[in-house]
Amino acid sequence: MAGVSLKLSFHATGLPLVAASGAPCCPYTPEAAVAPPWKDAAAMTYGSVARMKNVDDARRLERVRMRAHLMQRLQQGDPDACRLLLDDIGPAITRFLRTRVAIDEVEDVYQEVFMALFQARHTYEAGRPLEPWLFAIARNVAADHSRRRWARAGWEELTADLPDRAEGDSPIPSPDIEALLTRLPPAQREAFAMLKLDGMTLEAAAGRAGVSVGALKVRAHRAYKALRKLINGEGG
Amino acid sequence: MGDTSQTARADRHRLLVETLAATVRPVRPLWPVRTRLTLWLLLEAVVLLRVATHTGNNFMSKLGHLNYALEVALFAGAAALAAMMALRAAIPGRRVSPREAAVAVVLMLIGTTLVMAGAPVRVGYPLGEFLHVGFGCALETCVLAALPWGALWWAVKRGAPMRGAGSGGLIGAAAMLFSFALMRINCAIDEPLHIVTWHLMPALAVTAFSAAAGAVWLRFRPRPRPL
Repeated sequence: MAGVSLKLSFHATGLPLVAASGAPCCPYTPEAAVAPPWKDAAAMTYGSVARMKNVDDARRLERVRMRAHLMQRLQQGDPDACRLLLDDIGPAITRFLRTRVAIDEVEDVYQEVFMALFQARHTYEAGRPLEPWLFAIARNVAADHSRRRWARAGWEELTADLPDRAEGDSPIPSPDIEALLTRLPPAQREAFAMLKLDGMTLEAAAGRAGVSVGALKVRAHRAYKALRKLINGEGG
Repeated sequence: MGDTSQTARADRHRLLVETLAATVRPVRPLWPVRTRLTLWLLLEAVVLLRVATHTGNNFMSKLGHLNYALEVALFAGAAALAAMMALRAAIPGRRVSPREAAVAVVLMLIGTTLVMAGAPVRVGYPLGEFLHVGFGCALETCVLAALPWGALWWAVKRGAPMRGAGSGGLIGAAAMLFSFALMRINCAIDEPLHIVTWHLMPALAVTAFSAAAGAVWLRFRPRPRPL
């Protein structure tokens, strides 16, 4: 920060916009994000509300000028101006985001806003107030974030009722087919084994068993029914 | 507990700021909207010159008719307004003025009314002729708009458009409305049905396409955060 040559005028309110040493004019603190700007002891001593308003307006104007100046310096690649500006706008961004995104997500969106400001810095028009530009970007990022959040919420709702286990991860152990087959009549066992275990065609299986295709179908059908009954009986 | 989280937040802010400050480089700010609009209009002027010197339409004699001259001027004016709005909308914090948008639409509607009132609507076209001539005109309308559309898209993309569809639609409208005006010079047919079907409808269709493309490719999306 040494060697900063920012020569910004100071208003009569005594607001330390930029210290001579180059220290941040408004270092980011969470308190600053919630403290109303009119809670300024210097301003309170002026007495009348009208006067206070004038002081407040003048201070705001000075801050607008200062931010615009810092932004121009940032466009020129000045890292100190970058630090000063981001420190200064931090509380305002936080206040802005608190009204737009969930409180536990402010921090994430805050970082996204800073990234967006940084990436879009070439679009700032010198001589114009920074605030409309700044908050347009912040609003855009917050809206993007909300859209993503809603999309994610939709998916979360869809998958909320998923079973605890995946489809392949059956809690019931696979039945021991070999053991069950031994409990079938030999003709049915043979028909089932040829069709389902050996993968033979109906014709080939019927030829090997020495029966008609229709008779083999009947044996196989009876085998399925018996196996189903055995499996259900064992599983239940 | 609260103090800890506030300190952590302040630390993250400091880290973020230092990360960004370490990578800051000079950037070339966008040229003012007026400058970029002037350049775009110059490009359109070049296209106009090319059309004017290569057309078989005797448009110079037609320009003596108020209706015809107004049609061309109104559509060109609406196009210039749309281009200005597109360029402005690419700058965060600067919005499309509803009044300007309304003026552009009114200009286009008056222009369309003049087209419709300029000559009696001819019915009973031989369909083959209507389609054959029409497709050529529709294609030419798109071809004349291609370069200005690309140039304006690039100029808007260099900014940070917050509403991609809106910006895309404005780019399409600017390029296609100007192309429509150019086609009034280029095309010898003044028959309203032909103009509306083969000049205006393609312009509106491409504008809609441009809006859809803008929604996908034009919207400013910052890269993910670093921390």
